[in-house]
Amino acid sequence: MIEQVINIVGMANIRVIIGLTGILTLITVSTLLLTWAERKVAGHMQRRIAAKEVGPFGLLQPIADAIKLIGKELLTPADVEKPLYFLGPILIFVPVLVSFVVIPFDARLQVMDVNVGILVILAFSSLSVLSILISGWGSNNKYSLIGAVRSVAQNIAYEIPLLLSVLAVVFMSNSLSMNDIVEAQKGLWYVFLQPIAFIIFFIACVAETNRTPFDLPEGESELVAGFHTEYSGMRFALFFLAEYTNIVIVSAVATTLFLGGYNGPILPGIVWFFLKTYFLVFVIMWFRWTFPRVRFDQLLNFSWKILMPLSFLNLIATGALLKLL
Amino acid sequence: MKLIIEIITGAISLLAGMWITIKAFFSPVVTVQYPRQVIDITPMFRGHTKLLADENPDRTRCIACGICERNCPSNAIKKVEGEKREGEKKKTATAYILDFTACSQCGICVETCPVGALAFSADYNPVGLKRSDFCWDLVKEFEKRRAVI
Amino acid sequence: MLEDIKSEITDINVAEASYPERGYHLAIEARKENLLRVIKFFDDKGFYLEDLCCVDYADYLELVYFFNNHTELFRIKTTIKLTPDKPSAPTISNIYTMAHWYEREIHEFFGVYFENHPNLTYLFLHDGIDSYPLRKNRVPVSEDDKRLLSFPIPHEEEDTFSVNLGPQHPSTHGVLRVILKLDGEYILSADPVLGYLHRMHEKMAENRSYAQFLPNPARMDYLASLNFNLAHVAAVERLCAIAVPERAQYVRTITCELNRIASHIFWLGAFLGDLGGLTPFLYGFDDRENILDILEGITGSRLTYCYFRFGGLYNDVDDNFMDATRAFVKRMWKRLPMYEKLVTKNVIFINRVEDVGILERDKVRRFGCSGPVIRGTGMPFDMRKVEPYAAYGDMDFEIPVGENGDILDRYMVRMREIETSLRIISAALEKLPAGPFNAEKVPKKLKPPKGDAYHVVESPRGQLGVYIVSDESDTPYRMRWRVPSYSNLMTFPHLAQGTLIADAIAILGSLDLIIPEIDR
Repeated sequence: MIEQVINIVGMANIRVIIGLTGILTLITVSTLLLTWAERKVAGHMQRRIAAKEVGPFGLLQPIADAIKLIGKELLTPADVEKPLYFLGPILIFVPVLVSFVVIPFDARLQVMDVNVGILVILAFSSLSVLSILISGWGSNNKYSLIGAVRSVAQNIAYEIPLLLSVLAVVFMSNSLSMNDIVEAQKGLWYVFLQPIAFIIFFIACVAETNRTPFDLPEGESELVAGFHTEYSGMRFALFFLAEYTNIVIVSAVATTLFLGGYNGPILPGIVWFFLKTYFLVFVIMWFRWTFPRVRFDQLLNFSWKILMPLSFLNLIATGALLKLL
Repeated sequence: MKLIIEIITGAISLLAGMWITIKAFFSPVVTVQYPRQVIDITPMFRGHTKLLADENPDRTRCIACGICERNCPSNAIKKVEGEKREGEKKKTATAYILDFTACSQCGICVETCPVGALAFSADYNPVGLKRSDFCWDLVKEFEKRRAVI
Repeated sequence: MLEDIKSEITDINVAEASYPERGYHLAIEARKENLLRVIKFFDDKGFYLEDLCCVDYADYLELVYFFNNHTELFRIKTTIKLTPDKPSAPTISNIYTMAHWYEREIHEFFGVYFENHPNLTYLFLHDGIDSYPLRKNRVPVSEDDKRLLSFPIPHEEEDTFSVNLGPQHPSTHGVLRVILKLDGEYILSADPVLGYLHRMHEKMAENRSYAQFLPNPARMDYLASLNFNLAHVAAVERLCAIAVPERAQYVRTITCELNRIASHIFWLGAFLGDLGGLTPFLYGFDDRENILDILEGITGSRLTYCYFRFGGLYNDVDDNFMDATRAFVKRMWKRLPMYEKLVTKNVIFINRVEDVGILERDKVRRFGCSGPVIRGTGMPFDMRKVEPYAAYGDMDFEIPVGENGDILDRYMVRMREIETSLRIISAALEKLPAGPFNAEKVPKKLKPPKGDAYHVVESPRGQLGVYIVSDESDTPYRMRWRVPSYSNLMTFPHLAQGTLIADAIAILGSLDLIIPEIDR
């Protein structure tokens, strides 16, 4: 029976289906856990206990939050553009799902080893900008549109340093495939060979996910709440969850590119991968609870005037050194 | 050159800030998990007022002169009534209605009482479901306290 | 000074007043006709307008102008009498910008019409009030005045849109509504709307005895309630010439400085919360909790204290207080470097606040600002040094000043003020004399002699003044509170012009406004 199914569907496709199911589970569980983790990290950095009442150590807090948000009224404002308004929150998850397909969790634990893996990730991460714009435009609210346009400007500005630092890694590993990049780091992780590229990549990732210190478009003390002003209840929760999902995917990509992916002694590869990814997630949360917000024009200045020349120089230096050595 | 120095000092300042928060992350919490943990109340705490007992423990010191009622800035003391009992030179309080929802804990009643009949209690968390739950008769409260002893 | 005035302007009555009794040095009675010449004279001499209020005597209304000097203390009270029927006076808002709102307030509370005033609309009150509240008799609002007072609805111009900042907003520090006119990202004009928290404390003062008003000042500024309590009590003591014992003066100094530190810590947390850094708020509250516990140990309250009485204190301090305060001072000195590293040196913070919201020194006199706002521009003007009250005369301390008047300077002034306060507390604890904590023979029903008195205190936000007029009864005839945030807020429309919204919010936070004290 099973052989017949495999013959019809094809082994590779079954692998993809199982892999996608696994990824969906991973995303759901990890996002819910991250909402809990953010509160705990925030609490302990502020020397208080956060989320301790619901369940042991507050672990059932995300369930309580989800129930509360589901119970809220789904207000649809009158003049919204219905298709765009409804599509926005859903579209945010698409880049993440696709990006997870090409990430190697372990030596042979990868849904699909595309030979241009990193290109797929970069291409689809640009799509997240589209979903922000769709949400802002579809809300039919001038403040949402301003917030969305600011978000788009920020995302576009920080994509270039991101790309250039990834290029430096690609130069060193001679391949665009994620698996090959991880294999090339068996001896020494790239973070030691390319520290500047790692720092630039990490800062660009924090800016891409709209986290403090770069969260002015959705800052709470600002006049507008950004592109998700008009969303309430579960739709707002989807944006919220999408932010955490984005954090996980950028940390995963950073781990793969710079921290050696699943390489590591003694423990199985997948454990190392998750340890490294969640360490980077912790660092992103650490940033949020330490720094104030960067003003929008300073944000763009920082990207165009500091990060971009720096990443260019880094690329040129990498190329020169590789040619000489 | 100046730009590079600025970037480096900036980065160092950011890392110094991160070091402070991570130290705090691993430090013990400074909060008290109320209501599971309760801390002691200082004896000077200004809760609602209470009537103190006289040398004769059956009665309060209050002589129902009404000075506190007249001096209260918020009109929180609603009614002070007393009667003259046999063998006593001054009146004894029979009713002392305090509307705690208006009280601002200024201490004027405690200060101006000629016999020192009022004091602040240490009751920091009175609970009620309606406003009238905070309208107390201090004489009745005094009798309740006495009955417990 | 006396001779100068007499030679320049004739037909005014100039009388010297005894400063310890009255709180001012000169009392000038001018007339409506030569008011503008007198005001111009003071402007040329470099005085600033401290306070402008109105008192309703039965047969006339009196407008009282207080002038003072930034360089040397010399307070001049100028009064003009107006007829109670359709009173009017020339406006001085073209000379002193801060008079703009003070005159608006007098107009809606007393019905005084100010000629040539650009905008006499409601400031604290609203449509539907048909008599002037602070008049002694019921004087109805005329129809013309009602039309004058109502707000014009702003009409939308091309390429701009109006947006409300507040009244519910995490960064307005109270219930403040600012109508911003935006051109894209930049602010064209910012118009504060007040009155959401108006509780008529000044009218309450007229209906209650002096002692019964004691809980009220704490509710005006809840973060610096001991300073407000002190202003009230000291003004009445000045009026009645009550001598306060030394011990009480020292305890008043120590507790007021503790309150100042607590207020500055709270400001720090709120200001950084506006900028996006939410963690220093919690660290500051850890320290502030310490102060609140110390003050709870002697006063019994944590926020709105009613501790000082006429002639001294409600109760004495004990050894617990002294030990706890010394331990706090030691601990706070160790915590200050942490704030330095986490906030002051942080490059993101510095980029947000450096060279933003610069208040020029020559504008300060027109606005009548005080406190860290004026010290941030470089003027060492602190009432604790200029007009020492309580035990500040015996203390030796430096006043921190800034340089440029931007937000970073105001921030640094407040952080240095915390250090100054710690030094004052340590010194005062060493010098605390033994003795009584209450003056003897203060009558229970206080009936001050006829006259008026003005007392000034340095609250954490600036210069706080109380003007009491007494008519020998046991309730004040008029009690006027000159609050620092009122004149500090007036600089906001000027500072916010042409800035981004993010900068405007940072500027609003740096002015350290407490709206309940503005609205009283």
